[in-house]
Amino acid sequence: MTARKVLIGRGTSEMKVKSKHFVLSLIGLVLGFMIAFSYNLTKDKIEQPKLSNKSWDRDFQLRENLVEQEEKTRKLQKELFSRQEEVTSMEKQLSKEAHNYSEITKEMDKYRMYLGKVKVKGKGLEVTLADGDYNSSGDVNNYIVHEQHIFKVVNELYASGAQAVAINGQRLTRQSYIVCNGPVITIDGTQHPAPFVVSAIGDPDVLEAAVNISGGVMEQLVNENIIFSVEKMEEIIMEPVLGSK
Amino acid sequence: MWLPIFGLILGVMLGLLTDIRIPDEYSNYLSIAVLAALDTLLGGMRAYLQNLYDEKVFVSGFFFNIILAASLAFLGVHLGVDLYLAAVFAFGVRLFQNIAVIRRILLSKWSKSPEKNL
Repeated sequence: MTARKVLIGRGTSEMKVKSKHFVLSLIGLVLGFMIAFSYNLTKDKIEQPKLSNKSWDRDFQLRENLVEQEEKTRKLQKELFSRQEEVTSMEKQLSKEAHNYSEITKEMDKYRMYLGKVKVKGKGLEVTLADGDYNSSGDVNNYIVHEQHIFKVVNELYASGAQAVAINGQRLTRQSYIVCNGPVITIDGTQHPAPFVVSAIGDPDVLEAAVNISGGVMEQLVNENIIFSVEKMEEIIMEPVLGSK
Repeated sequence: MWLPIFGLILGVMLGLLTDIRIPDEYSNYLSIAVLAALDTLLGGMRAYLQNLYDEKVFVSGFFFNIILAASLAFLGVHLGVDLYLAAVFAFGVRLFQNIAVIRRILLSKWSKSPEKNL
């Protein structure tokens, strides 16, 4: 402030005093306003940040939590996806295996049927061989059914597609043996008297045709004095072979 | 004599009652302006006590300093330099100097006047 000496004495005019007071009051007004306004503002500012600081902290914390959780979720999701893939592949494998198993069981069923381990049922043909009438002339052996007759019939039936064959209700297996033992026939150790009913499961028409073919089994057997009858059956039930026979 | 004080009180009332909200970044300017105003006021008081008081100088200084301080702070904000610190420093130092001078003058006056009275 440059020193410019101006004396404002008490003796100056009233006008000057008044204007001076006016200016001073204006300055006072401005100053007071500014101070008060600034005070107000600062008060608000001090109050606000505390609150917002707290809330900001909380916000930050929550946000961090959220981020953490999201990351965890993402990780878990990845794991879930990989596990799901694993499960899917396992399921595929399982279904494949199950398919295989079902195939195998089917095959097993089939083979069991062939082996005579299970009860089987189906259309088929029944061939009955009975001893011929013996009119007391000639050899009696020429009038009874022998094992080779049965062999012929059984072989013919197998050859023409029989899936299962039984004699007098006893299933024949691959290891069966048939022995002629006088008037009876022993099949796998079980004796069967005449007449012998050879039942075969298969296509009845084919089996019948095979048996009846001219010069075939029927003619041969009839020539050997055996009473031969063929019957088509709608349903033949064969009991399984028991034990290890 | 009472008119300036009445003006001051009126100003304070107005300031407290106004509910104008200004953005936070402008509150800096206001504080600087307040500082400038205080400085000028004290300067005026000192000048008055030293018999150097000039109303024109005082009034123009009052408003000009306020505007200058605010614009300095504004410039500082926009330049990225804390220029308002310069204003704070300058005004603060002058504030204390003025107060010291006023105190001395008052003290000398106070110590002189009793002698007169006696």
